[in-house]
Amino acid sequence: MNVFFYIAAAVAIISTLMVITRKHPVHALLYLIVSFMAVAIIFFQLGAPFVAALEIVLYAGAIVVLFIFVVMMLNLGRETSLQEKTWLNLATWLLPGVLGAILLIELIYLISTQPNETLTIAEIEPKAVALSLFGPYVIGVELSAMLLMAGVIGAAHIGRRTIKHYHRFLQEETK
Amino acid sequence: MSETLNYWLVIVGILFVLLNIAAFLIWVERRMLALWQDRLGPNRAGPFGLLIILADTLKLFFKEDWIPPFADRHVFVIAPAVIVISVLLSFAIIPFAPAIQIVDLNIGLLFFLGMSSLGVYSIVLGGWASNNKYSLLGALRGASQMISYEVFMGLSLMGVVMLSGSFSLRTIVEAQKDYWFVLLQPVGFVIFFIAGIAETHRLPFDIPEAESELVAGFHSEYSGMKFGMFFIGEYLGITLISSITVALFFGGWLGPAFLPPLAWFAIKTAGFILFFILLRASLPRPRYDQLMEYGWKILLPLTLLNLLVTGGIILFLNQP
Amino acid sequence: MTPTEKLATELMLKFGDSVLTQQQTADEVATFWVAKTHILPVLAYLKKESPEPFPLLYDLFALDERSRSDHKTYPSKDFTVVYHLLSFKRNQFIRLKIALKGEYPSAQTLTHLWPSASWYEREVYDMFGIRFEGHPHLQRILMPLTWQGHPLRKEHPARATEMGPFKLWDEKVDTEQDALQFKPEQWGLQRHSDDADFMFLNIGPQHPGTHGVLRIILQLDGEDIIDAVPDIGFHHRGAEKMGERQSWHTYIPYTDRIDYLGGVMNNLAYLLAVEKLAGIEVPDRVKVIRVMMCEFFRIASHLVWYGTFAQDLGQLSPVFYMFTDREKIFDIVEAITGGRMHPNWFRIGGVAQDLPNGWDKMVAEFIAYFPKRLKEYHNMVMRNSIFKARTVGIGIYTLEEAIEWGVTGPGLRACGLEWDMRKKQPYSGYENFEFDIPIAQNGDCYDRAVVREQEMIQSLRIIEQCLKHMPEGPYKSDNSHATPPLKKNTMQDIETLINHFLNVSWGPVIPKGEAMSCIEATKGWNSYYMVSDGNTSPYRSRIRTPSFPHMQMLPYISKGYTVADLLSILGSMDYVLADIDR
Repeated sequence: MNVFFYIAAAVAIISTLMVITRKHPVHALLYLIVSFMAVAIIFFQLGAPFVAALEIVLYAGAIVVLFIFVVMMLNLGRETSLQEKTWLNLATWLLPGVLGAILLIELIYLISTQPNETLTIAEIEPKAVALSLFGPYVIGVELSAMLLMAGVIGAAHIGRRTIKHYHRFLQEETK
Repeated sequence: MSETLNYWLVIVGILFVLLNIAAFLIWVERRMLALWQDRLGPNRAGPFGLLIILADTLKLFFKEDWIPPFADRHVFVIAPAVIVISVLLSFAIIPFAPAIQIVDLNIGLLFFLGMSSLGVYSIVLGGWASNNKYSLLGALRGASQMISYEVFMGLSLMGVVMLSGSFSLRTIVEAQKDYWFVLLQPVGFVIFFIAGIAETHRLPFDIPEAESELVAGFHSEYSGMKFGMFFIGEYLGITLISSITVALFFGGWLGPAFLPPLAWFAIKTAGFILFFILLRASLPRPRYDQLMEYGWKILLPLTLLNLLVTGGIILFLNQP
Repeated sequence: MTPTEKLATELMLKFGDSVLTQQQTADEVATFWVAKTHILPVLAYLKKESPEPFPLLYDLFALDERSRSDHKTYPSKDFTVVYHLLSFKRNQFIRLKIALKGEYPSAQTLTHLWPSASWYEREVYDMFGIRFEGHPHLQRILMPLTWQGHPLRKEHPARATEMGPFKLWDEKVDTEQDALQFKPEQWGLQRHSDDADFMFLNIGPQHPGTHGVLRIILQLDGEDIIDAVPDIGFHHRGAEKMGERQSWHTYIPYTDRIDYLGGVMNNLAYLLAVEKLAGIEVPDRVKVIRVMMCEFFRIASHLVWYGTFAQDLGQLSPVFYMFTDREKIFDIVEAITGGRMHPNWFRIGGVAQDLPNGWDKMVAEFIAYFPKRLKEYHNMVMRNSIFKARTVGIGIYTLEEAIEWGVTGPGLRACGLEWDMRKKQPYSGYENFEFDIPIAQNGDCYDRAVVREQEMIQSLRIIEQCLKHMPEGPYKSDNSHATPPLKKNTMQDIETLINHFLNVSWGPVIPKGEAMSCIEATKGWNSYYMVSDGNTSPYRSRIRTPSFPHMQMLPYISKGYTVADLLSILGSMDYVLADIDR
């Protein structure tokens, strides 16, 4: 069990590193998918199969597709690669890198000072997830639903643009 | 030890049978189309032209494996593998018979949805990496079509999940002992099947390929076995959707006892595969925007309504 | 007063003798020479002001007159540009000619009067080097952009053997490669708009949806068509030029291959013109046989269109059923003519042989068999809701637009105009048949399909009447120009024997003059305008085909639709590449 965890964790870390360092956006996104899948496997091993499935269905299967969709539409090619290259300059990543490193040190310290307990893994069935979501956490679900609704409406509003008609009949109407 | 061996045998056996079915479907589709179109179809090589399978496979293997110089090499190579892998993985959760199932996940249906959502990448990446305008258009169409129809696909299944109280396919099949879910969830079945056709991008939803417009769309640039992977992926997809439909709505392996459970499953699945082919023989292709409109404006409200009604009835019946 | 005289009086009163000179022709189309400077006012008057106007620019072409013995006589000319107009109110054609002088003369464009003149003028420029002043985009249309010379000029070689061996020098490779480079600006297309970068998509020359070697450059915003530019000429074989070196008789097989789905229908259009020139009146049996064969080919052509149209929209099966039925028609055609798609079976003054024994049985069987099939296809294709969704309201043009752009045939009738040349200007005895003219009102892809579908039923009616009332009599005229003359008489008297000998060895000598035919072909109106200078081969053969203006209209009617709709529009247009390019 542990071996699989470490393999998945290593894959997740390496692929995430690749996401950051790839110059081509599509390649970076492909590594992001791998990273999501590795994380999904970790979730699965930790006894949360439902979350693992959602990780793949939603993140890897839907959201990143949309990212790639946009990249394809914008036809980002060589120019973006060059632009990305400039971001890999020492000057660009030095400060964020240092700040990130501080956080990392903190994290390692905290983990190492924790009492060394073995994690007991209890598998949580989808049914249990559902019961808790619609039981004690129902207000959270409702609130996030409302938030999402607002998001949908906002997106629809922002995305709305005057549709340009090229058909000759429709052009006469708008004139 | 023998249990582990048995387990591996099942896996290898299923893989072997599936790949053979996918190859066999080449022949079935061509012969059935020919039958429905007043033609003969391939009938020369071997008995009933069955050796055409061998000939086709050999041809695909020995064709020049060409990667266009303008393509994104790595992505171009990965794309066809994605579809075959994601579809084959989905078969892991399908209960072919009481004893034949690779793994009975308690999130079985979600696993299937996850895998089919990963299948989109095959089209998107294949079309993008080809660096060809037709392929790109095909990929764009394919991506939006499949993402949209995944939504309805997932939602249309929830009725079944409510009725059986589980995501596990085995539980769902066993819950159909008395009556098939198609009787309780006719709307869910129809929507799932439509979404399934869209997921496998078969006619009438073959818009990403649209031979007469986009010249094979996302796989225009593919040849040899890379094209063969798309080809096999498509047939595997048909088999997958057919077998999931059977498991969810038509009682899976259940049937009168004079035939073994596996036979019932196979017969029902074959029926749906033939229906896929019949659809291809009879329907024209809608336009891309019509397809999307149909999905979002008709199928989505219908699915939600179906869920509401199903939930309401279950609540009503379960009242103490 | 005949219509021609009436028209002549009207024009003379308006413009006077100095502008117009009437000319007599063999085909009785009112023909006037117009002073070059006055052609635009005359045309404008005919189109707009005349009480019974001529709204349709039917054809526009040129002649190289320099090798004609009489080209110095009045009006003295080196080149002639000919305009054919049609008036629906008068049911009459008018032919206007202008005389041009000089090696590379120029004339005024009439693209502002008729948008459809654009391609015709480009063709004249391409073929003769005549420039049209004010033309928005005067560029070669049929020949490659790198072509040297203008093919229909008399000095341009007609055979490859007259041109010297072909050499592909490095420089030539470079220029040809350069010409292949796609530059949007060259085609009048912009790369960007205010808020979008456009994508240019090359449909063709090899594309399953174009039914042949046709290239359409699409300017796309997403999948919306901003503009489309058809690039034609890939199928250009110089059929008109070939006419000038073939004898009147040996040109018949070339006509078969113009609208290659129309088979003998093309023969008919050509022969009607020749027979007018030669003054041949064909026997009744010939007329009915010709009508029957033409209607068979109309059904065969419509079946191909029907099947491929459905296939373009993704319906795979109908085309197989329809080709099976077409095969049944070809069985009959084969039994009668010995050929299938290009039987080359009509002859000057008749047909090649009499009908074989038992033809009536085959035809009767087909008449009994076919209506049931049509009903089935109607249910399968026309009533299919996806098919309707793909065709209703797509590719609309109004009747005015159709006339403006020179649309003829089913495309015109789909806009609600009940105009069929078989009824309005009957030829080959069509006036003796009973049939209806199917029309539709909306002028969209679906309506064009409805019209063609109904036409097949009407064609079947005509064939049935041919079967029932096939007259007895000879299958060839006894006119001395008929080629080859009836064999039986050759052994009787020396006159026919000599005629037979000459007609077979040299080919017939057709009297001087010019004549135009106009028939309702499968895809629209097809015309052959033949000019004879009293020789064994035509001096000029002009082929007016319906697909040419239809294709020219494509950008106009496809703007604002999507790529998928373009396929519906192309499919419903029913064109044949050889019919566009000749």
